[in-house]
Amino acid sequence: MLCLQSLAARVGDFCIRDISLEVHEQEYFIIIGPTGAGKTVLLETLAGIHAPESGRIVLDGNDITTLEPRMRNMGMVYQDYMLFPHLTVRENIAFGLRQRGTPAPEREEAVQKTSRQLGISHLLSRYPETLSGGEQQRAALARALVLQPRILLLDEPMSALDSRTRAQISRELLAICRETKTTIIQITHHFEEVHALADRIAIMQEGTVIQTGTPAEVFLHPANVFAAEFLCIGNQIAGISRPQGRIVRVETNGQAFFAASEVTGPVIATLHSEDIIVSREPFASSARNCLAATVVEILPAGTTVRVIMDAGFFLTAALTRESCRDLDLEPGSRVYATFKASAVHLIATRPE
Amino acid sequence: MPVLLASLAKPEIHFAIWLSLVTSVISTVICILIAVPVAYALARYTFPGKRIATLVLTLPLTLPPLVAGIALLLFFGSTPWGKALENFGFAVIFTPLGIVVAQVFVNLPYMIRIMRSSFAAINPRYEHVARTLGCTDTGTFLQVSLPMARHGIIAGTVITWSKAMGEFGAVLMLAGATMMRTETLPIALYLNISTGDVDLAVAAATILIVISLFALCVVEYLDRDAHVF
Repeated sequence: MLCLQSLAARVGDFCIRDISLEVHEQEYFIIIGPTGAGKTVLLETLAGIHAPESGRIVLDGNDITTLEPRMRNMGMVYQDYMLFPHLTVRENIAFGLRQRGTPAPEREEAVQKTSRQLGISHLLSRYPETLSGGEQQRAALARALVLQPRILLLDEPMSALDSRTRAQISRELLAICRETKTTIIQITHHFEEVHALADRIAIMQEGTVIQTGTPAEVFLHPANVFAAEFLCIGNQIAGISRPQGRIVRVETNGQAFFAASEVTGPVIATLHSEDIIVSREPFASSARNCLAATVVEILPAGTTVRVIMDAGFFLTAALTRESCRDLDLEPGSRVYATFKASAVHLIATRPE
Repeated sequence: MPVLLASLAKPEIHFAIWLSLVTSVISTVICILIAVPVAYALARYTFPGKRIATLVLTLPLTLPPLVAGIALLLFFGSTPWGKALENFGFAVIFTPLGIVVAQVFVNLPYMIRIMRSSFAAINPRYEHVARTLGCTDTGTFLQVSLPMARHGIIAGTVITWSKAMGEFGAVLMLAGATMMRTETLPIALYLNISTGDVDLAVAAATILIVISLFALCVVEYLDRDAHVF
């Protein structure tokens, strides 16, 4: 549906280059990346705020690269809402309809409907500065949604909100967009949003997209070390990979483990801490890797605990509080770490 | 006090008030018309020669009004430009029109500076959103940027107007100090103090003080948002 072809743009010190990606109909597409990666510039270029230096933007087969923002039918919502302070909430939501010349009665009807959907009907006569963050966010979403945009562009829209409000608004927004068949492209820093919302994601680094895919694909097979680090994948182990049968054997610091991969040579192995099973006795299973290790440290992390072990190299496993208690773990405990060869993903690295 | 009221009733003071009001309002309107687009361009766009443009626009700010007046006098009096304007009926030197020209020249930089900081204080994302909501560039400016900068505009207008009311040096040089012709309030003050008519001078001064206080109050009230100084 929406297709970017080698898009490049520059705004002040920020630039994006050679961005090619495709967003499908009714997709919830999330762009993640560190600050300064050019995520906002990309979104604003999509909206038509900045003219690209090169490349094309194609929507439904039409080249819209040079189309004015007002003709693109894309809604934009920023992190800090950008509600017009000199207008009431009602006037803010009706702003786009006014530009279209919608007659007043229809305008009021549309405003009422959208504000009801977002639960802000009672706030219509207030000015934005008198609203809470969550209410302002709802008003900003209503202002964009009332125009029934083809694509809704969200620039970290929930970042300034507490996690409960954030989850709630996200849920409501998703329901509305499913109903109106709106495609969403969102920037976020929150991984829980990625898992809960995204159909597909793109990771940006230094102005370019380094990987796209479903969250499961990307989290399991990060394209490079940067992606693995940014996605907070618990274990990244440097080693040398050699073929052995149909899989590979990765040697690191005198130890070795197996990985279901075809990558050989110097590698970084990534392994999610959730994929490691910790036991007191050797754990009999189909998993290819079962390594003896010593617990080094136990770190509480919310509802789970992170157990850092030394198996010749360091491994971090995520356990529930219960299993950690049942295993009676403490620094120095002798344990076994078990993980499947298919849980290990290898990224080739060039020798330094 | 009765002396003051009697002085205020004199035709000379009436004329001065009237002339000051008319010239200052005209020059303020001209300042707004020039300053708003110029200030917006300076706040939002980068273009070659922006630094030079800013410098040229700021120069009259530091120039003593007397020097500005001399410069204007020479410009309109001895260049082909000035001659051409005079032939078209825009006689500037020693005329009420000269008062307006002098006021605009001295006050425009202030207006531009105030307006520029008001526009610069508006996050451009407000304008981005407006454009995605269907606004043209002009529509965005009129419906979002201008209303959001309104406090700056009002404060700038009041300052410009009150400075125009009190402008002396540049007006004296370009428009001269002709009694009942180019006699604004400050000129009336100057002429009457020169001839020893202290009462009339005090009357003119009193009006100027009232105007200053009014302007100060307005600016102080609006400064919370506009950050004029």
